[in-house]
Amino acid sequence: MTIELKNLTKRFGTLTAVDSVDLSIGDGEVLCLLGPSGCGKTTTLRMVAGLELATEGQVLLDDKDVTQRTARDRNVAMSFQFYALYPSLTVAENLAFPLHGEKLGKAEIDKRVAKISDTLQLGGILNRTPGQLAEGEKQRVAVGRSIIRDPTCFLFDEPLSRLDVQLREEMRGEIKLVLQDLSRPTVIVTHDQLEALTMADRIAVMRDGRIEQVDTPHNVFTRPNNLFVAGFIGTPQMNLLPATLVSAKESGIAEFAIDGGQSMTIEVDPRVTELSPGAKVTLGIRPRNLEISHEAIDGGLSTVIDMVEPMGAETLAHLSAGKHDLRLVTDWRVPLAEGDKVHTRFAPKTTHIFTEDEQVLRTP
Amino acid sequence: MARKHREIGKAGWGYTAVTTFVGFIYFFPVFWIILTAFKTRTDALAVPPKLFFTPTLDNFTSVFYRTSISTGNSQATDMGLYFFNSIFIAGTSVGLALIVGTLAAYAFSRYPLRGNDTYLFIILTTRMMPPIVVIIPIFLMFRLSGLAGSYWGIILLYTAFNIPFSVWLVKSFFDELNPEIEDAARIDGSTEGRVFFRFCIPQILAGLAATFVFGLILTWNEFLFALLLTGVETRTVPVAMARTMGGEVGVDYGLLAAIVTLFLIPIFFVTFLLQNQLLRGVTFGTVKK
Amino acid sequence: MADTASQRGGFAAWLLDPKRRGALLVTPAITILFFMNIFPLLWSFGLSFFNYKASSLKVPTFRGLSNYERVLTDEKVWDRFQTTALIVGSSVVLQLIVGFLLALMFAKAFPMRRLVLMLVLTPMMLSFVSVGVFFKLFYEPTFGIVSYVLNFFTTEKFVLLGSPEGAILGIVIADAWMWSPFVMLLVLAGLVSVPKYLYEAAEIDRASKWRTFWTITFPYIKSLLLLAVLFRTIETFKLFDIVYIITDGGPGGMTETIAVYLYRTAFQFFKTSQSSALAYIVLFIVIVLTNLYLYAVNRRAEEID
Repeated sequence: MTIELKNLTKRFGTLTAVDSVDLSIGDGEVLCLLGPSGCGKTTTLRMVAGLELATEGQVLLDDKDVTQRTARDRNVAMSFQFYALYPSLTVAENLAFPLHGEKLGKAEIDKRVAKISDTLQLGGILNRTPGQLAEGEKQRVAVGRSIIRDPTCFLFDEPLSRLDVQLREEMRGEIKLVLQDLSRPTVIVTHDQLEALTMADRIAVMRDGRIEQVDTPHNVFTRPNNLFVAGFIGTPQMNLLPATLVSAKESGIAEFAIDGGQSMTIEVDPRVTELSPGAKVTLGIRPRNLEISHEAIDGGLSTVIDMVEPMGAETLAHLSAGKHDLRLVTDWRVPLAEGDKVHTRFAPKTTHIFTEDEQVLRTP
Repeated sequence: MARKHREIGKAGWGYTAVTTFVGFIYFFPVFWIILTAFKTRTDALAVPPKLFFTPTLDNFTSVFYRTSISTGNSQATDMGLYFFNSIFIAGTSVGLALIVGTLAAYAFSRYPLRGNDTYLFIILTTRMMPPIVVIIPIFLMFRLSGLAGSYWGIILLYTAFNIPFSVWLVKSFFDELNPEIEDAARIDGSTEGRVFFRFCIPQILAGLAATFVFGLILTWNEFLFALLLTGVETRTVPVAMARTMGGEVGVDYGLLAAIVTLFLIPIFFVTFLLQNQLLRGVTFGTVKK
Repeated sequence: MADTASQRGGFAAWLLDPKRRGALLVTPAITILFFMNIFPLLWSFGLSFFNYKASSLKVPTFRGLSNYERVLTDEKVWDRFQTTALIVGSSVVLQLIVGFLLALMFAKAFPMRRLVLMLVLTPMMLSFVSVGVFFKLFYEPTFGIVSYVLNFFTTEKFVLLGSPEGAILGIVIADAWMWSPFVMLLVLAGLVSVPKYLYEAAEIDRASKWRTFWTITFPYIKSLLLLAVLFRTIETFKLFDIVYIITDGGPGGMTETIAVYLYRTAFQFFKTSQSSALAYIVLFIVIVLTNLYLYAVNRRAEEID
């Protein structure tokens, strides 16, 4: 079974919430819709579910066009952000609820409830009502209720957003295991990149209703296609430094002028030669790819340490070069003190170049 | 994002048409009454009942001026006085109940005593009593103390009627307030009085308004006690209405309808303005969140 | 924390002391209630044990429970209770049905909803007297609209208030018409408080309409419906105005409710003590109902969270 979205668009009056989204999700694949609030990810999910009907475009479930059908007729399963557990039913009754529409005997229903209850360890709470459950238990019941049927796909709306950090780690792993067992396409909506990076087979980064990039977690992290994705993925955030190209060699070694008088020599992608000197770019460099030294580095940047934040095994330092700020993350043993003057270099071939139109310049 | 989605489904003008139709059918008796207010005496009692007729404003003027058939002189009726009485008595008693009730509610909410729930229950019970039960003693009490027929007697009585409701409702408003704001004010040196007037009250102003409206609706139409305890000078409109029926020539429906219509206007207006708060009042603040 | 009033010392300080502050604030309310409600109640309770007659100047003698006995063994009283129960029962059921249907209708947002809602809320705002008088006119065989409309279907004039059943029906319709909007408000409050995502989940789970109503909607309105039933029952029990005006207890005393009977006993027959006794029996019933009411209210507060 597969999910296909073709040119999916949703407008509310003059507001375009989702703009021409094309996505293909294969059998058993987990796709995360990731993005900031208001980017359209939840609306897209609801259109797959049938809770919102598309203004334009198509939704195909298992190659069947279901665009005009409402949720009831699509045979999807969905787990809501607020769990949507029926407050007047016990956990067992909540789990059994979706099965009433399928005309199974009581024995069969009980059997399935027992099986789900085992998988998600709900044995002890089967007779409680949602009002008596802890947050994590509610979450598991919500997941349980959505997987008890045999739907064409699974949809999750911010499944872990209401859990505290510890629970989240636990549940991430559990959910991933559960999803691996079922071989249906799954779409998860989240604003938490860590969730997306750990649970997804592919991530679709969205902004303002459009998809910015669809790729594996690894690629989204290491090969962002544009400025937005680069800045969105990765904690601490990637450094984005405006610069002007001075000169570039075939090998990829280029010189950039930074506002404030300094210039740097960095080894970047060879495509840099496509740009003419004087071209304005943005350099993207992850905090962990900065190398520092107390001695001057040839072609490096001289900076001042503004603030040092120990993070345990690593230290986060805020550097400034003129009016630009850089974030650096390094091993805790490296001696850093506020006020220090240090020199920094961008590690070779780790810098992303973004041209003026915010697209990356990279050899495919 | 709000804690719970509270949107209700949307519908369009077609639905409005249907609901207006149903609503109007329900409203029809009221419509008929208002219609009757514009009918002449003969039209009002026409057989078969008339839907179309030439309207007249005579009834409305008759409410305030009565022309004697024999002398042809026009004399002001006391209806203006009765309207005033209704407004004055209802307004004062509900207002008084609100003030007194708010103080008590504040006490119940912020300084709970040991028997708090019991006191509250007793207060509520007085509301649940059939007025019949207290009619006799109150009538005697009023007569003996000379309060019968005075403004203050009936006002005090109505105040007592409205206190339970005010206390319960306003207490629920106080319960919902965030105590942190008050604590911050106290730390800044405000006296308790200041805290109450400048911090608590402003936050529940809308709720107080709703409580006032609701009490008004209940007190406005009160008949039984008004019948027995108001005098000629202090009569309220409901009593006056009943009296116009004991006329020599039978009930003047047109006149009565005019009174009813006029009497309906203030309360209609006030209710319209505070519709949403009424929902709360009706459920004693138990439907929150 | 500065409390300048208490720092001033003296009587004001004693009065405003935090320990006593609560009691102080409550005093005005309790005083008024006491004099206007509680004291008369106690007086009337006392009266029920004597044979006081408001019309005579004889000194009342103590009669113990004989007034209560008299009342409870009086056949007329039981008749009245029956009548009252019938009227209360039918009216409340009718109010529930109509109120519920109206609430369903208003559970959506549509243009001009506030205005249309006013149409339906107006009946509540009329005084009992007006409703009584005009419904009596409506029911009138010659002049009333009811008869006129029904004339299209039958050929004769329709007399509603002539028979006991008809009279009761007339009262019930008038009362239910007035107060169904109240029930509607309560149910509407419940309907609106159901979180939308529960309906969405049910839609995805392909639950039938009936199941959706029963599992999701009903629990939210259950306690409110109960509240409505109890509140309206208690209020309808006290029903006086409408009955008095529409039928005056007739025909032949067949529609005389307890409240009307009480009124008669006290003010027409001047059997003051007896009516006190009866009133207290009624009060007892109302207190029992009140307790149920409170219990339901508390359950509502904890139930849905």
